[in-house]
Amino acid sequence: MGSFIQLENFPKIVPYAQLFWQGLAVTVLLSVFTVAIGFCIALVMALMRLSNIRPFRFLGVDANGIPRETGALAFISKFNPVSFIATAYVEILRSTPVIVQIFIIYYGIFGVIDLPNFTMFGFIKFERFFPGVVALGMNSGAYLCEIIRSGIQSIDGGQTEAARSLGLSQVQNMRYIILPQALKNILPAIANEFVVIIKESAITYTIGVQDIMSAVNAVRGATFIIIEPLLVATAIYFCLCFPTSKVIAYFERRMSHGDKR
Amino acid sequence: MATSGSLIQVKDLKKYYNGGAIKALDGVTVDINKGDVMVIIGPSGSGKSTFLRSLNLLESPTGGSIIFDGVDITKRKYKNADGKTVKVDVDDLRQKMGMVFQHFNLFPHMTILENMVLAPTKVRGVSRADAEQKALALLDRVGLKDRAGAYPIQLSGGQKQRVAIVRALAMEPQVMLFDEPTSALDPEMVGEVLDVMKELARDGMTMVCVTHEMGFAREVGNRVLFMADGQLLEQGTPEEIFTSPKNPRLKDFLGKVL
Repeated sequence: MGSFIQLENFPKIVPYAQLFWQGLAVTVLLSVFTVAIGFCIALVMALMRLSNIRPFRFLGVDANGIPRETGALAFISKFNPVSFIATAYVEILRSTPVIVQIFIIYYGIFGVIDLPNFTMFGFIKFERFFPGVVALGMNSGAYLCEIIRSGIQSIDGGQTEAARSLGLSQVQNMRYIILPQALKNILPAIANEFVVIIKESAITYTIGVQDIMSAVNAVRGATFIIIEPLLVATAIYFCLCFPTSKVIAYFERRMSHGDKR
Repeated sequence: MATSGSLIQVKDLKKYYNGGAIKALDGVTVDINKGDVMVIIGPSGSGKSTFLRSLNLLESPTGGSIIFDGVDITKRKYKNADGKTVKVDVDDLRQKMGMVFQHFNLFPHMTILENMVLAPTKVRGVSRADAEQKALALLDRVGLKDRAGAYPIQLSGGQKQRVAIVRALAMEPQVMLFDEPTSALDPEMVGEVLDVMKELARDGMTMVCVTHEMGFAREVGNRVLFMADGQLLEQGTPEEIFTSPKNPRLKDFLGKVL
């Protein structure tokens, strides 16, 4: 009867150390690219959700020029297709499992689109890494969208009024007044999302991305030991995420000091 | 101050909410002339601020018209001198109207100097050096030149409002709109802001002020408007309004505030 952890199994993992190092690099790269893509998607989606494009606006006014408040026409006049698309994107991506999304992207989208077959840095298979990044990026884009949207909405409406009254356009107002303040406020939330992505990226081993989890699988396949490589993976993920969240907490404290000055 | 033609003509201005159930503005008609210092008084909820904010379209009116520079700015399009139909450029219009808010609304992530040069450089295309020079001159006028590098949070309320006034002036507006500029200030800071406004009035700036400072209305205003329930109930010189009010609502109001 063997015990839960067998110490003599750890030396058996050592020959595969290279896989774990490469897996670590893949996980970090995966997370960085995911946050970058996710942030870009999120920014666009957030601006779309907050847009005020109403193509049927004219239906909302009756013959006497008085705005309608109720009825089907008033409802149609308030319809914003741009915001609707972004809202649908966010709600669908947030209400379905990541693994389903990853499989749809990998087997569905990139089953049709052929990706170039090459390796980055000698060990990252692009045709697997890229769909992983796209799927995770789209998913985290939905979550980051809500973070950015709340950041923009947290800025006092007086800021926009002041900017517009000075003659700044809607775009200039966003660019110079609202976004700089909103992004500063949500930086801790974005950094937290980064930690979440590091952990979530483990799921990409299911489509053959060679991250830390896939190193565990490789060791299991070759040596039939599972608990010990899993513990190594646990340690690596912990060493990635714990210091990162501590660093975030440090900057969060420093930034709040700046506000109280 | 001799008036020289009307600058803004407001005709039958209406602002309804909930399909007419709430009438924030119920048919206000008034001419604002060049050089006017127009003070709007009235109980809270009377539509004073809505009226002021409608002038530069921060509120979009439900009905009526506002003619500014010969153009009805409440319509989305108008015919220009060549008979062509052009869109009303709201951003361009707002440059010509400076606005000062109750809560200052300085940009907290920028220094005082950056607050002041942003709009001139980004909107009017003034060079950075020229904009800074002008900003410093304006700050000097209100005694805050040495605070140019500070952030808004480091300033007192009175200082913030003085900055907000010169920030609007940096765009060289034709008219200045003041929305209760001293209401959020500690009592001892009201004077310094009113002094700046008085100086502006002496320099001939056209001003529309919503305020509860009756002393200011009396001393500096050349026209006083009394509003209640979204309507303009009485207007006249400060003398007429404060010494011989006719409307019973105005008499009642003055009895409470004076």
